[in-house]
Amino acid sequence: MIEVEHISYRYPEGEPVLRNISFAVGEKEKVVLLGANGSGKTTLLQILDGLIFPKSGTYRYRGDPVSERQLRDKSWSRRFRKEVVLLFQNPDAMLFNPTVYDEIAYGLRQLRVNDLDARVRDYAARLAVERYLERPPFQLSGGEKQKVCLASLLALEPDLLLLDEPTANLDARSAGWLIDFLGDLPVATLATTHNPSLAAELGNRALVLSEEHELIFDGEMNRLMRDREKLLAANLVHVHQHRHGAMEHRHVHGHEWG
Amino acid sequence: MRARIALLSYVAAILVGTTVHDIRLLALGLGVVLALAGRGWIRIVRRASLAVLMFNAVVTASYVVIAGLGGTFSPAYVALVNLRVLFLTCLSFLFVERVNVFEAISFSPNLTSLFTLSYSQAATFRQVLANFRMAFKSRCIESVRLRDRYRHSASVGAHLLEKSLHNATEITRVMRSRGFFND
Repeated sequence: MIEVEHISYRYPEGEPVLRNISFAVGEKEKVVLLGANGSGKTTLLQILDGLIFPKSGTYRYRGDPVSERQLRDKSWSRRFRKEVVLLFQNPDAMLFNPTVYDEIAYGLRQLRVNDLDARVRDYAARLAVERYLERPPFQLSGGEKQKVCLASLLALEPDLLLLDEPTANLDARSAGWLIDFLGDLPVATLATTHNPSLAAELGNRALVLSEEHELIFDGEMNRLMRDREKLLAANLVHVHQHRHGAMEHRHVHGHEWG
Repeated sequence: MRARIALLSYVAAILVGTTVHDIRLLALGLGVVLALAGRGWIRIVRRASLAVLMFNAVVTASYVVIAGLGGTFSPAYVALVNLRVLFLTCLSFLFVERVNVFEAISFSPNLTSLFTLSYSQAATFRQVLANFRMAFKSRCIESVRLRDRYRHSASVGAHLLEKSLHNATEITRVMRSRGFFND
């Protein structure tokens, strides 16, 4: 479905944030992109969504190069924006319509779908936000906003769902619900996280970005979880001292700090 | 030392630019600024023009209406006001681009603290704005309608206002906690 070959990216006046990244994602694959904060995960997602473009290398979607020029082709751009969607880490960035109903209907109106009302209500129900349909999205909690964003994207019935730290704004119960929901979705997903304990729940294939912005792992999640050296090298786990009363010991941790 | 000399020159140029009322001198000043900008002069003029467009348009339109009704309209005055704003903005952009402001104001710890706070806030807001724009672009399947653009701008404005109020409260508490205020 998508093929990324030797892409590199640097922001103007900045250091490189992605170096020589290559990988491919197939239809309905569940992939997790792991990396410490600042490793370039968000930048990579923005490239995959055709929002920014690599300084070198190529990115292809279903065989077509994704470039500024390609996106100027209106019919291609329309298909791409419908089929590839991105859930931003900050839901506030995605919400601007007067009601939750309008928010979910926003993309559908552009596509001029016939069953707009039914589809809005269906996705609102699936994401458990139907009781908020007449409310302004900015009045909702972080988790509810996240669900509205997801309903707005899924209503388009995309083929590839890109998710930037999808559980970052959620409490434990909502995070668990979202993981189950994403697992059952019949679309390809590429989710980023810096939390290895969560990664295993989000997909069965892992990509790991190092702090040097290189792809240092592409393979089965189980294999990564057993590769302690790789996890340490990517700053995804840490070793620290524990005190249990008088006893002290050190071991590897993959849990969140804070 | 060079940074401080540049700061002094900048302040002096700002004072001259705001007190001179001869359009030829302001044009000359703008010419000097653009000459100092070298090959980047087009970028600076573009950025400055975009930055002052709304302000200048409102001021100019208001003047045209009020002076027109009173029979005192002067095209030379319109040109003077617009040229002055453009000159001062180009000068400021060139200064910020060429001079390490942190070094220039390092003689004053309080000024440095205030500038650092302002700078970090501006950087944060720039990042937020870039994120909002990308999210909007990402959700637009077809050409954006004017109504949606307005809605999006209003949403960005409301979010930034709320964020700035929250940040201002938090920063004030942090500064008080760290002994910046002696109250």
